[in-house]
Amino acid sequence: MVGLKGEIMDVGKDAPIIELKSTSLGFDGHEVLKDFDLKLFEGDSLVLVGPSGSGKSTLLKLMAGLLKPQSGAVLYRGHDLSTLSKKLREEHLAEVGMLFQQNALFDSMTVFENLRFVIEEVEGIQQALDRKDDILETLEAVGLDHVLDHFPSEISGGMQKRLGIARALVLKPRLVFYDDPTAGLDPITSRKIVSMILELQKKWGATIVTVTNDMMRAYQLAGRCMVCFPGEFLKTGSAEDTKAFADPRVQQFIRGDVNGPLEAL
Amino acid sequence: MFKVTFASLLIETLQSLFQQGVRVKEVVKYLDHLAFKSLNIIVVCVSFAAAVTILEASFHMKLVLHDDSLVPGFASMLIVRELAVVVMSLLLAAKIGAGIAAEVGQMKISEQIDALKLLGINPFNYLVLPRLVACLIAGVLLSLIANAVCLLTAALVTTWSLDQSMAFFMTAFRRFVLMKDLGFSLIKGALFCGIIPLVSCYYGMTCEPGAGGVGRATTKSVVSSSICIIVLDFILTLVFSSFY
Repeated sequence: MVGLKGEIMDVGKDAPIIELKSTSLGFDGHEVLKDFDLKLFEGDSLVLVGPSGSGKSTLLKLMAGLLKPQSGAVLYRGHDLSTLSKKLREEHLAEVGMLFQQNALFDSMTVFENLRFVIEEVEGIQQALDRKDDILETLEAVGLDHVLDHFPSEISGGMQKRLGIARALVLKPRLVFYDDPTAGLDPITSRKIVSMILELQKKWGATIVTVTNDMMRAYQLAGRCMVCFPGEFLKTGSAEDTKAFADPRVQQFIRGDVNGPLEAL
Repeated sequence: MFKVTFASLLIETLQSLFQQGVRVKEVVKYLDHLAFKSLNIIVVCVSFAAAVTILEASFHMKLVLHDDSLVPGFASMLIVRELAVVVMSLLLAAKIGAGIAAEVGQMKISEQIDALKLLGINPFNYLVLPRLVACLIAGVLLSLIANAVCLLTAALVTTWSLDQSMAFFMTAFRRFVLMKDLGFSLIKGALFCGIIPLVSCYYGMTCEPGAGGVGRATTKSVVSSSICIIVLDFILTLVFSSFY
C-alpha cells in the first residue's frame, strides 16, 4: 500500500476550526491515512469527492471525532479531540452536527422526537421543552413541519435525508459534516437537498465538510475540493480549478470514463 | 479504532453505571417491551414442561418402583431448582436475545450508534445498561411467575393423571422444597436473564454489514446465550449444592 501524503489546506484566516496533524489511520492492515495534514477554517466549505472505498467517510468521521487516529492528532479549535476535558467535550459536541450516509435516524422516534432527543441529550430536558419553537423552525426550514408525528419509516427517502439534515442542524452547529447527502436520491431531489444545505449554511454561517460521489453536486457545494483515491488525497482547489486539474485520474473521475489510470474499484 | 470485545462491553457498561447512572425511563420501557411481552409464551411453555415432567416421572417411577407417590415431591423440587427457571431463560434467550441483537446490529449498520456518540451519549450506557437492568429485574419476576405456573400445572396434572389429591401435592411440596431453593432459583433467573442482553448487545455491536450480518448476529446471539445459560446453570448448581 502506498503511503498517503496530505497537503496543508491553509486558507489564511484565523485559527483553524479543525486541524489534522500528521494523522495516520488504518483498518486490518489497510492504511487509509498516513501523516495526513489538513486545516479547515471558519466558514469554509470543503467537498471530498472520489470513488467508493477511497476513505472519504473515514476522513469525515476522523474530523468529527468518531474515530481516533492511530498516530498524530485531530485538533478542534486548537484542542486535541482525544484529550478534551468534559467541559470542552460538551462544547465540541454542541458545535458539531453530522448527516450520516444512511441518515442514522432513530427509528423508534417520530420526526419531532428525533430532533427533541438531540437537545435533550446535549442541553438537557428543560432546554428541550423550552426550545420547542427552535425544533419547529428547523423542521420548517427543511420542509418537514407537516410530518411531525410520522416515524422515519413512514416518510420518503428524500424526507429522511432532510430529517437527517434537520437533526444535524437543530443545535445550530458551527461545523457540519454531510456524508453523501444526495446518495440514493433522484437528480431533482439531490439538487434541492444541496440548495437547501447552501441556503442553511448562508443562514446560519456554519463551516461545512461534504462527502459526495456526484461531481455536479460537488461543484454546486464546493468552496474547495479534495479528490480522494485509495492511497492518495489530492487538494484540487475550487470547482473551476478541479475541472482543470491536470492529474489524469481526476479527469477520468470527473468524466466518469471506464478506461483510464483508475481501475474499476 | 476501538474494537468492542465482550470484556470491554462488560467493563464499559459497569463503568457507565457508576459514572452516569441508569436511565430509568429506558429500563421501564425495556421491562415492558422485553420481559412482560414474553409472559404469555413463558406461561404456555413452562406449563407444558411441568406437565410432561409429572407424566414422565410417574411413568418411570411406576416402571422401576411400582409406586409414583414420590412424584409430587421430586417434581416440585426439580421444578423449583431447575425446570422453571431454565426453560424460562432459554425461551427469553430465543425471543428477546434475537430481538436485541437484530435491533442493536441494525443500529450499528445504519450508523445510529455513531449518531449517539456524536451526541455525547455513551452507547454502553444507552443501549446495554438499561437492557441489562431490565433483564435482571425481569429475571427475578419471571422466575417467580414461571415457578408458580409450573407448580400449579404440576399440581393439576398430579390430581388429574396420578389420582393424588391437591392436598397431597401441597404436603409433598412443603416437605421437599425449601425456602432457599426458591431463593437460589430467583438468583439463577436474574443471572441467566442478565447474560442475554450482554451477549446479544455484543453480537449486535460487532455485527457485520448487510442482512446476512444481522442474521448471523442474531443466530450467534441465541446460540451463545443458550450455551452460557446452560454452562452457568451447571456452575451455579455446583456452588449452591454446597449450601445443603
